[in-house]
This record gives sequence, C-alpha cells and structure tokens, in this order.
Amino acid sequence: MILRQIWAVYKRELGLYFRSPIAYAVAFALLLLFGLIFSSNVSQLNNRAPADNLNFIPSLLTFLMFLVGPLMTMRLLAEENREGTIELLMTLPMSETAFIVGKFFAVWTYYSVVLGLTLVYYLVLTTIGVPDHGRALGVYLGAWLYGGTVLAVTMIWSAITEDQIVAAFLGAATVLVLYLADLAAQFVNNLSFTENPEFITGLANGIRELGLTAHYNSTMFVGVIRAEDIAYFIFMIIAALFITTRIVETRRWRA
Amino acid sequence: MIEVRNLVKKYGEVTAVRGISFDAKPGQVTGFLGPNGAGKTTTMRMLTGFMPPTSGKATVAGYDVFEQSMEVRKRVGYLPESVPLYRDMTARNYLMYMGEIRGLKNVRAKADDVLERVGLTRRAQSRIRTLSKGMRQRVGLAQALLHDPQVLILDEPTIGLDPIQVLEIRDVVRQLGRDHTLLFSTHILSEAEQVCDNLVIINQGQIVAEGSPAQLRAELERGGRVLVRAEGPVEQMIAAVSAIPTVAHAEAAVEGVVVTPRDANVDPRPEIAQVVVQNGWRLVELRPLAVNLEEIFLELTRQVAPAAEEASERADADGGEGGDEAGEGAREDGAREDGAREDGAREDGAREDGAREREDEEAKS
Repeated sequence: MILRQIWAVYKRELGLYFRSPIAYAVAFALLLLFGLIFSSNVSQLNNRAPADNLNFIPSLLTFLMFLVGPLMTMRLLAEENREGTIELLMTLPMSETAFIVGKFFAVWTYYSVVLGLTLVYYLVLTTIGVPDHGRALGVYLGAWLYGGTVLAVTMIWSAITEDQIVAAFLGAATVLVLYLADLAAQFVNNLSFTENPEFITGLANGIRELGLTAHYNSTMFVGVIRAEDIAYFIFMIIAALFITTRIVETRRWRA
Repeated sequence: MIEVRNLVKKYGEVTAVRGISFDAKPGQVTGFLGPNGAGKTTTMRMLTGFMPPTSGKATVAGYDVFEQSMEVRKRVGYLPESVPLYRDMTARNYLMYMGEIRGLKNVRAKADDVLERVGLTRRAQSRIRTLSKGMRQRVGLAQALLHDPQVLILDEPTIGLDPIQVLEIRDVVRQLGRDHTLLFSTHILSEAEQVCDNLVIINQGQIVAEGSPAQLRAELERGGRVLVRAEGPVEQMIAAVSAIPTVAHAEAAVEGVVVTPRDANVDPRPEIAQVVVQNGWRLVELRPLAVNLEEIFLELTRQVAPAAEEASERADADGGEGGDEAGEGAREDGAREDGAREDGAREDGAREDGAREREDEEAKS
C-alpha cells in the first residue's frame, strides 16, 4: 500500500520534471557550462597530464549543487502549500512519509539523469586516453549521494515556506554552510592554543565531519570509497526526510 | 453517519469552535450554515482528519476522527472550500492520481465513471487550468466521489459559481444526499433551505439552532405578525389598527402596515379586517408574515461584530436588545421590520449573496 502510494507520487513528480521547461533549462545551462569547460580543458591536454584529471566535471556539479539543488527542490512542497493541494492530500489515507519519500525520489531521479548526462564527457575521454575507471566510479557514486543529500536538505525549506524563492535562498544558504563546514573547522582548529586543545581539536573534527566536503572532496573524489562516507550521506538523507515529514505533519496541527 | 460531541478547536488564543455537538444522518443532506468565519471550515477540517480537535469527540462512519484517522479518511469524500487541484494535470490524470494514492483498483475506469457522473466526460483530457470555475468545482466533486465514500463533506461547493452552475451543483448535492451521509456548508440561506433536510446553524463557533428548515421556520413564526395592505391614509390606518385590543403594535413598512399581536396565539386578522372595512378603506391584502430562514439567520447571528464578544455578552445581559453599535441596531431593525426586509438584507454587506439569491427567488415566484 505505502509502496503504491510512493510510486504514485513519484510518477507524478517525475513526469512534472520532464514536462516542465525549468528542468530542461537547468539541464541545458549545466551541460553548456560543462561542455565549454571540458572542451577548453581537452584542448589544453598534453600527453603528460593524466586524462582522469577531467573527473572534475561531476565534482563541479556537486559544487554547483548549492545553487542547482534549491532550484530543483523549491517547487516540491512550497507549491502544494501555496495552492492548498496539501489540504486534500492530508485528508487522503496516505502517510506523510509516503508523500515526502515519493517526492524526494522523484527529484533525486531527475538529478541522477543530469548527472548521468555528464558521463558523455567520460565517454569522450575513453576515446582519447585511458581514464582510471575505479576512480571514476568513486567520483560518480560520491556525486550521486552528495546530490541526494543536498536535495533532501533543501527540501526541508520547501516544506516550511509557501514561497519558492524563500525556499531556494534558505536552501542555498544551508547547503553553503554544510559546504563550508571545512573552513569553519579550520578556523576552530586555529584556536587550539587556548587552555583546552583536545576539546578544540575534537570540536573542529566534529564540525568537519558534519560538512559535505569532508566526505567527498578528499575521499570519493580521489577514488577512496569509505563506508563511513556512504553512511554519512545516507544518514543525512534520512534525517532530512524525517525533518521534512515532521514539518508537514506540524502544518496540520498549526494550520 | 457523523456524530460530533463537544468539539472544540483553539488556534492559540483564538477559539474557532466552542464545543459543538450535532449529528448528520445517512440519506440526508445536513446543511452547515453560518456567516463567514463562524467555524464551518474548521469543523470540516477536523471531521476529515486534516487537523485534530483540541478537545471533544467526533466519529465519522463509526470511527473516531483522531484515533482512527486513516479509517475515517478511507470513508470520507472531501471537497475543500478552495477546491485545490493540480492545474497542470488533465482532469482524468488528476482523478487517476488521487485514486492511486487511495489505493483503488481500476483507477482509469473509476475516473471515467465519476467524470461521467459530474458531466465532464468530454473534458477528461483537458488540463485543469483550462477548465472554468464550475468545471473545476465538478472535478473536485468527482475527486470526492471517486472511492464511493459513505460520507461526503463539501465545503461551500457553490461559492463563486454562476447561477446555472449553482443550480446544477445543488441538484447533484440533493441526489447524492439520498444515498450518502452528506454534510454541506454554505453561508447562503436560500440554498440551505432548498437543499438540506436538516440544518445546523453555527455562529462564532457555537451552534445557535438546529432542525429541519420547516421546524426552524415554525419555531420562529410564532410571533404571529400580520401584514395589512389597504388603500387608505397610512397614518390613520396605523392609529385605527393600534386601537384594536388584541394588537400590540402597528407600524408602516414598504409593502403595507405590519401588525404585531399582543398574544401570538390570538389571531387579530378578523378585527383588522373589520376596522379597515368600517373606515371605508379598500382591503388589498391581509396575511401572516412568513418568517423565512434569512430572518432566523439574522436573528440568530446578529451579534457577529468580530471582536465584540464582550459587547455581545453585554447586549445579552441587557435583555438581548442592547446593540450599542449603530450597525448592530440598524441590522436588528432591518431584521425585525419585515416589510423592509430587503433593506435589512442589503444593509448587511456580507450577505449580499443571500439577498441576491432571495431576489432571484422572488422574481421567480
């Protein structure tokens, strides 16, 4: 029953992505940008530079996710809030969880398609050199999980507000905070000359581990696939979806 | 079957529904009537499981709306006031989507079936954004009927429609009432009077009257007031009629002279007729004033002044006649002065619809 409901919500949302011009506009802009960067890099290649330096394309996508992610998710729940369609949905025999999970998988699928399109560059690479397939696997797996996490986190804001622009801005800010957690950790670490250095170092590590970059840029991006990184992304997705579900539930109580 | 007992809903400091109790029986249309902001929508949202009550109990189709919300939701068809639809879907796809979420089988056939019932088969493939308001309302209604629910809850289904569409929707509501438990809210009186078997009038979150339209009318007709129309000088007529022992009061109104008897059970009409004829005036009309629901409604809901709960209590303490504010007083007069009832209705801007409806009806009859 719950699977059927998730499937129904998923199907509708995914259909919307592929019927709406925004989805194509986002994909077009991204691929245009990547194409330009890729071709300029290929043209500068010489036989000393290893071809898999070009793995930066998917990781460029993960960086841009602080902008693109909120654009992908802002509509998901804010629109239902504004149009009032949520009122009807919440009087159907469906749990909030099915609704949220269906929506999330739809946007994650859309992201996966965009990410999949960047494989084109990788295919081009295989014709001009021998890229490291193992590393590419890590890069793509990481980019996929990273994207899912960003989407789940930005979806929280879409549940809170009726205004898509507000959802997008707050989403972008949140992702930036997670992205820059590394910098914050470094800053905190520089305070370790104070009276309690162990505590400060621990705090810095904690902050670092909460951020997105610690689990991607220095691990999966160089081809190191660690269980804890995968666990981090999955945990973040589940936690964000849980929070979103709770928020949708409280709307009923506050309404 | 809907049973509501002492239902209360508070939004923070504001109490929207203050302990209401009523029943809606199967095979009947129960009208939920009240001015805007009376608590109709809040009550309906509690009954459909959209929000939980603060206290009290309500059962729908035998299930508690809070404890067994999912069971209630399976058995209720709900049309919210704003008729929220996905504008970018076609009518059929929308219904199929709702059917899939409800876990129905053969959603395609069911969607086509309800589209036929609401007369939209021809527009099944149209996107909802291209449909007119009335058609959207019908798509919303189709959605509520999709799973063949025992209980239907329709929140102001005729609001914003043109007169023909209103009549159509009313017909549909009446038909559906025969084999469903149907709770239907409106702030239009004539509509409630036409469509409903049973009326619950709510104001400021409290039920102020309950019963069939006929019962409510009978209860309030006991005033026994009489309208006299005769060709003659009005001032003298009032004086002459007032002099009759069984008459308490006579006053001029638009249509003629309204006479209030001293005792509601003693009909003053024979004496009035005699007096009029003796004075040589030609009697045109002499009839009891039918109290219609609008007057009952105005009577029951006249202390609506938004922040004036205190004021209304004070007015009650003063014997119900208080009405410090000029507006209140004017409206009371409007309600009481029967000949001028159209004025009364017009004065109350919020009930324009009601007045228009009434005029329509009068034009018809």
